[in-house]
Amino acid sequence: MTMHEAPGGPTSTALYDVATDAFRRWRAGDETGLDDLVRVMTPVLWHVVRACGLDREATEDVVQNTWLTLVKSADSVRDPQAITRWLCTGARREAWRVSKLATRTRPVEDDVLDARMPLQTSPEAEVVTNDESSQLWQALGRLPERCQKLLRIVAWEPRPDYTSVAAGLQMPVGSIGPTRRRCLDKLRVELGGAS
Amino acid sequence: MKLSDDQLMEAVARLYATYDPAPDDLADGVLARLAVEDLEDEWELLTLVERIDLTSGVRSADDVVTEGDDATVALEFAGTSYRVLVRISTVDGHRRLDGWVVPAVPMKVSLGPAADVHPHARQQAEVDETGRFEFPSPPTGETRVWLQPQDTDKAGAALPPFVTPPFLI
Repeated sequence: MTMHEAPGGPTSTALYDVATDAFRRWRAGDETGLDDLVRVMTPVLWHVVRACGLDREATEDVVQNTWLTLVKSADSVRDPQAITRWLCTGARREAWRVSKLATRTRPVEDDVLDARMPLQTSPEAEVVTNDESSQLWQALGRLPERCQKLLRIVAWEPRPDYTSVAAGLQMPVGSIGPTRRRCLDKLRVELGGAS
Repeated sequence: MKLSDDQLMEAVARLYATYDPAPDDLADGVLARLAVEDLEDEWELLTLVERIDLTSGVRSADDVVTEGDDATVALEFAGTSYRVLVRISTVDGHRRLDGWVVPAVPMKVSLGPAADVHPHARQQAEVDETGRFEFPSPPTGETRVWLQPQDTDKAGAALPPFVTPPFLI
């Protein structure tokens, strides 16, 4: 791990190995490798791009374009171990480009609100009605927006690149690590207060 | 109960996956788009030249072989280097697809749903020395035939593969 690489959560660590292996198989000529890579990394890209503040529709487009770019320039990914970072960083750049192009910028408050509202159509949403999850969700919702975005990224993105994450959140590179720590501490405090 | 960093992060990942999940069909959509892109890049798309209803008295919608009745329909496709005739016949409720390629050269033939993005899931056959190929149990619905010549040209380069437009079985 380099100095500018954030430790991800357990979810992202497991994803990293699967994605690296899938990419290696694809490049060796096994088409199922690309299938596996797309299936494991598409949800990751979704959370990374949503954390950039794009709405759901724009996020879908960015994710699609990220994959098209990969297929066209897969040769430029020389090290299979760099594939998750290549995808996430590319998706983030595309997300910035899209949000700058957007003539109407959605107010941040809407987006944060969106993320707090359980989606009525999602069957999973009904499953998460137990106290622990909803308490945690509410606690997360009380954190500053920047904390919510940062935690979402490091929870999902395998070995995120601090430089790129910092640029996306408009924070100094050096403050990502300490901010992540403070955000987790705040979340614990919020949880403690709720119980 | 105090949660560790890892436990908290895992819970956060789960929460976002639950409350703001990627659409269920997003990965499938990506794969379908990549498959189309792949076709456009590398595969020559044949065009449908003619559709011939070989069974008199059978009425069916365009490109559809009706269920139940005995029926035979032939579709002729053409590209820059090859012509392909695909025949779909239904006898006693059993459907069969066979065809010819002109000129006859060794080829691998794949048959599968048009929207299927898994090449490994397609049915496989080979063109024999007379140019014929056969699929005894073709899938139903919107289907395509992919053909990959196994020869090389005089310079030793692989001959380009080609594919039919989707047609209904």
